Amino acid sequence: MTEVYHNIFKLRLSNQLRCLYTIIRDEKTSRADFVFYSDRIIRLLVEEGLNQLPVKSKTILTPTGSTYHGFEFEGKICGVSIIRAGESMEQGLRACCRSVRLGKILIQRDEETALPKLFYVKLPTDISKRYVLLLDPLLATGGSACMAIDVLKQKGVSEDRIIFLNVLASPEGIEVFRSKYPKIKVITGMVDDGLNEHKYVIPGVGDFGDRYYCI
Amino acid sequence: MAEQHSTSLTQLATRYIPPWKSPYIIGIAGFSGSGKTTVAQKIIQEINEPWTVLLSLDNFYRPLTKEQSDMAFVNEWDLDRPEAIDMDMIYDCIKSLKEGKKTKIPVYSFAKHARTGQYITIYGANVIIIEGLYTLYNPDLLKFMDCKVYVDTDLDICYTRRLLRDMAERGRDLSGIIKQWDSFVKPNSVRNVRPTMQNADVIIPRGSDNTIAMDFLIEHIRRQLDAKSAEHLVQLKALGNEIRPIDLSKVHVLPSNNQIKVIKTILLNRDTLNDDFIFYFNRVASTLITHALDFVEYVPHLDDPPQPVITPTGAVVKDTIFIKNEIIAVDIIRAGDCFIPSLKKIIPGVKVGKLLIQSDSRTGEPHLHTEKLPDLNKNCNVLLFDAQIISGAAATMAIKVLIDYGVQESNVIMCSYLASETGVRRITNAFPEITVVAATLSHSNHSLKEVDHDTDSWMANRFIDSRYFGTD
Repeated sequence: MTEVYHNIFKLRLSNQLRCLYTIIRDEKTSRADFVFYSDRIIRLLVEEGLNQLPVKSKTILTPTGSTYHGFEFEGKICGVSIIRAGESMEQGLRACCRSVRLGKILIQRDEETALPKLFYVKLPTDISKRYVLLLDPLLATGGSACMAIDVLKQKGVSEDRIIFLNVLASPEGIEVFRSKYPKIKVITGMVDDGLNEHKYVIPGVGDFGDRYYCI
Repeated sequence: MAEQHSTSLTQLATRYIPPWKSPYIIGIAGFSGSGKTTVAQKIIQEINEPWTVLLSLDNFYRPLTKEQSDMAFVNEWDLDRPEAIDMDMIYDCIKSLKEGKKTKIPVYSFAKHARTGQYITIYGANVIIIEGLYTLYNPDLLKFMDCKVYVDTDLDICYTRRLLRDMAERGRDLSGIIKQWDSFVKPNSVRNVRPTMQNADVIIPRGSDNTIAMDFLIEHIRRQLDAKSAEHLVQLKALGNEIRPIDLSKVHVLPSNNQIKVIKTILLNRDTLNDDFIFYFNRVASTLITHALDFVEYVPHLDDPPQPVITPTGAVVKDTIFIKNEIIAVDIIRAGDCFIPSLKKIIPGVKVGKLLIQSDSRTGEPHLHTEKLPDLNKNCNVLLFDAQIISGAAATMAIKVLIDYGVQESNVIMCSYLASETGVRRITNAFPEITVVAATLSHSNHSLKEVDHDTDSWMANRFIDSRYFGTD
């Protein structure tokens, strides 16, 4: 993984990763394949997200009875997904942390004002004591992500305990995080060229939620 | 003198000759009914080598024409003369076996006096026993044999045995058997089979009932096989010599991040529940496999001519890349099996080949027991799995099998959770082109039981598969 800016991380651009993105970007890719290959990228993001959590040393006994100085995780975590596309990443998180708590936030664009509006929030009660993995596959303008982060901060989660995972980011979205939330760690799979007039990431993957759930 | 010695050590340390590249070949001849098969079975039972093949020259009968076949059914065609079997084909097969190649042996049908078109495939044999009337007949065949045995049973006894056998087992009538015996079997035995006795190293009067002769023979074969084993072990040990540093462009260890460190602690902890052990092994296996997939061959396009990749937003994807050739998994039973659940989640329809290689508990010498592999060719990318590389002996043997099956050395990716440096060195000294991916590379020295002392630590024990499958 490479840190492109302070606290902004990008997955290592391996052949494997480039191949996965080639598949999910292709408009001809079927939904089943889109889901399968997105899930693989999500899995890599989750692994890297969990790597950001602190560890402490732990000494154990091996099956042969010798001592081994190892490590264990310190602190509790939870996932928070931004409905609906963010929910596509919940399974990937649970594949690594079996019974992890999952909060949900629904933010939709208000048809009158064209601004994001908060519709629904359900979070674990002790969320302020947890590290939060915020899940949303696309970081375009960053509007809904910012709103979700403000919700988390209101619930007492400090910025340095939030790790934002996304599959694809725009330079504009990255810039929002750099200026507004320098303490939040952002882990993204790839940073694309920019946004088009409809605020879609270019070249992008299209509407992630639609491709994952509907089309 | 000293220089010569070091050269030979270097040479020894850069090649690997598996046992099947120099199989021990035993030839057994004697009259029909002399007890050749019984002697062969007794040898197989006594030497108890994992991969012993019994090859009957009956498989090499020449197909008969319709006329000849009709004559054969009324006992008027001579099936007992040396020309009735295809010596050239036998020569080719035995030569191929002696060179350790995968060899197809034709299956012959006595009911039709023709080859069935089916084949028995022999590969990986450590000991091959050839039996037949004319095993010791052809001087060109003799030179392939390490031990030539002639079973010298009295012709009268052979006759009675044959009478009883043909009536009971083959349902033939007495007059036919007698006719065949008088006109073909007996004259050929006396004229063509008996003189081959002089080509034998050992003559066993009365066959397998002769326990003293059998004991001598088996003792001799055992000594020869032990010497062969010892040579194999010396060679394996030499492969562990540090003749060159491990090539880090070919050996990849997962970056030691928090996840990897915590999971390692969980997997090494003897108090970890089986449920957790399986879960965390699957997790790290998935990371390892993903990492390994970076080393297969990728191409910018699969279509010819290249088709542009367009996203749903109408943009053209500039950086396209695809996996070029099929990926095939091969696992070493049973530790390699631990990777398969994770692998199926990454490549759902992957073909999986299996190899059973077990180490002799006495010496640590690896033995190939079973190989069930899908079709392999030089373009396949093969992911080879074993949860632990300790001495590296089993992996070295497995890679040799893949190469014998036509896989290109540079297309083999060996995936392992724990690897010892000595083990990895053995593999890369023997096969410098292959890629190794491991989660942990241990620097302490772990080696073959006989050759070096085993250190009693978690590294030197195979514990992953027994914990994963819950049999400890």
